[in-house]
Amino acid sequence: MPALLDRRLVVVTGKGGTGKSTISAAVALAAARRGKKVLVCEVVAKERVADFFGRPPSGTQIRELVPNLYSVHVRPREAMREYALMILKYETLYRLAFENAAARYFLTAAPSLAEIVMLGKVFWHASREMERGRLRWDMVVLDAPATGHGLTFLTVPEVFLRLVSEGPLARDMRIMQSVLADPARCSVCIVTLPEEMPANEAIDLDRALRQHQFPVGPLFLNAAFTSRFSVAELASVTRGGPLLTAAGEAADSHESRASLSGHYEGVLRESVARELVKVPFLFERSFGAHAIEKVAHAIEGVL
Amino acid sequence: MRPLEGRKVICCVGSGGVGKTTTAAALALAAAMEGKRALVLTIDPARRLANSLGLKELGNEETRIDPRHFAEAKLSPRGEMWAMMLNLKSAWDELVRRDARSPQQADAILANKIYQSLSTAMAGSLEYIAMEKVNELYSSGRFDVIVLDTPPTSNALDFLHAPDRVLDVLDNNAMRLVLGPMLKAGRVGFRLLAVPSGLVLRTLARFTGSDFLRDLAQFMMAFEGMYEGFKDRASKVKALLSSSRTGFVLVTSPNPLITQEALFFHRALQADGIRTAAVVVNRVQRDPRRHGGPDNVAALKEALQLAQIKDQNGFSERLCETLTEQAVLADLDRREIEKLRATLQGVPLFTVPRLRKDVHDLAGLWQIDGYLGGE
Repeated sequence: MPALLDRRLVVVTGKGGTGKSTISAAVALAAARRGKKVLVCEVVAKERVADFFGRPPSGTQIRELVPNLYSVHVRPREAMREYALMILKYETLYRLAFENAAARYFLTAAPSLAEIVMLGKVFWHASREMERGRLRWDMVVLDAPATGHGLTFLTVPEVFLRLVSEGPLARDMRIMQSVLADPARCSVCIVTLPEEMPANEAIDLDRALRQHQFPVGPLFLNAAFTSRFSVAELASVTRGGPLLTAAGEAADSHESRASLSGHYEGVLRESVARELVKVPFLFERSFGAHAIEKVAHAIEGVL
Repeated sequence: MRPLEGRKVICCVGSGGVGKTTTAAALALAAAMEGKRALVLTIDPARRLANSLGLKELGNEETRIDPRHFAEAKLSPRGEMWAMMLNLKSAWDELVRRDARSPQQADAILANKIYQSLSTAMAGSLEYIAMEKVNELYSSGRFDVIVLDTPPTSNALDFLHAPDRVLDVLDNNAMRLVLGPMLKAGRVGFRLLAVPSGLVLRTLARFTGSDFLRDLAQFMMAFEGMYEGFKDRASKVKALLSSSRTGFVLVTSPNPLITQEALFFHRALQADGIRTAAVVVNRVQRDPRRHGGPDNVAALKEALQLAQIKDQNGFSERLCETLTEQAVLADLDRREIEKLRATLQGVPLFTVPRLRKDVHDLAGLWQIDGYLGGE
């Protein structure tokens, strides 16, 4: 099986607030450093990756953030329009069919039409050829929505095909489904934190992803704490002046987080049969390129 | 919590993963301790919290927290605490069965594919059903206080506009007009005639095929006659949520991205004419420097020596590093909280420090209540 950095499509998913965008950016940066041309597709409401690198938001235009690393924000409205135009060919027909109250209703009621066209757009990027059969992107990283919605996002082709079996959308959905099921081309990673809810959600997500037979990518344990003090050391600093008391409390607080972190790491190792990649907690005053660099460095070795 | 005195419904809102469920449960516990009959309505509680509240296998049933659990936590409430875990699918099905004019109508709805998507996955559906439930429980008069823990994934607009969205799916005039011929054909039973006609419909059918449109037409037909009831209740819910009987509590963590989302929620509430009653900031880093004194390695070495503690394997360096790290976190948190305070002028703000352990029982919730008492 190819290494993570050799897949064409890397999907990063997990509970909200676990650092999916950070990991997406770091994976992309690691790949770009190895000479790959990488595109990060962000599909959630707010674009973040460009900001990590101190660049203005890319919007729906693909922009280079650092050498070989590009990003684009895929938004439902624009994606819908582009997709509809691809099929309908005529702007007038599009307006007639889609820019009316009935169609707006249709877009709400149709199962996840927004997700469908967004996923379609990501796939369009992932399979786009330049010339002479060379792909435009060596790797596309999909920074997917949070767990519940993320799973909806990835199973959209499956759900859609259950409801609809004819038409151009159904045909495209079949192609997407085949890529999303192919471990040679695709990998679905999970990001989690060493806390109760995120860890439980990662376990559920792992199970659900397996059920749908998505290619099994690594589990990134983000913001992990590592033990730093022995029990004897902790006990020794419970006395002394105010500075030592403060230091002792800080050390105790560190150890309690490290012990929680270790506990959930153990739970995850036991319940999730994926390669676990530990990303240390970063104590940064501001979160930017420097932080992404550190994360990329931490995960590089195992990719 | 003083800003919530006299409120009958408390809505805890905010991003996922900020401790919304825990805060909601802690508020219900506080009300129960004061002698109220309090219910916490939760969507997706952490397993250990659910287990310790006795919520393990319960569906859409309100359950009284066993007094034994209170005894274990050495708490003697003057009131009662109840909890309920909301299941999306069964809550919807219940609603349809209750509202349908006949069992046949209910069956037709339950079997429809569009309904199945509405009742399991459609955006706003969970929020809508949670509000329906709050309204139902409120109207029953069985509880003094109902605390709602809102769905984890929802953003501000999803939550506030859920009733409109759902009502629109149930009945939409524009779509009804477009589907007109299909609806008529369906009604007289000529299924074969129910093909999409008209330019708009034919164009839409090119995307999804005509089966989907047929399902849609059937869905609208199946719901016929029930729409008014939904509409009526939705307007009652709206009135309840924007009245002074309801208090919205913004739950957040000091993470800049999360506070941004909280402020967004605050503004969305404001736009709907609702005032935020209180803000709870969870998991705030304690400042290790509150004892004062320099926290450099030299000072720590000296302090260790003074206390006759051996400085081995870079102990002083590790202590210094830990102090510095936590000072950075404390500074970041303080900065965010100050920003929140400045923006949310006049809204009472409560901070809960990062606790040493996850909260998963009544004793833990009571500990949190200690921070939610005084501003």
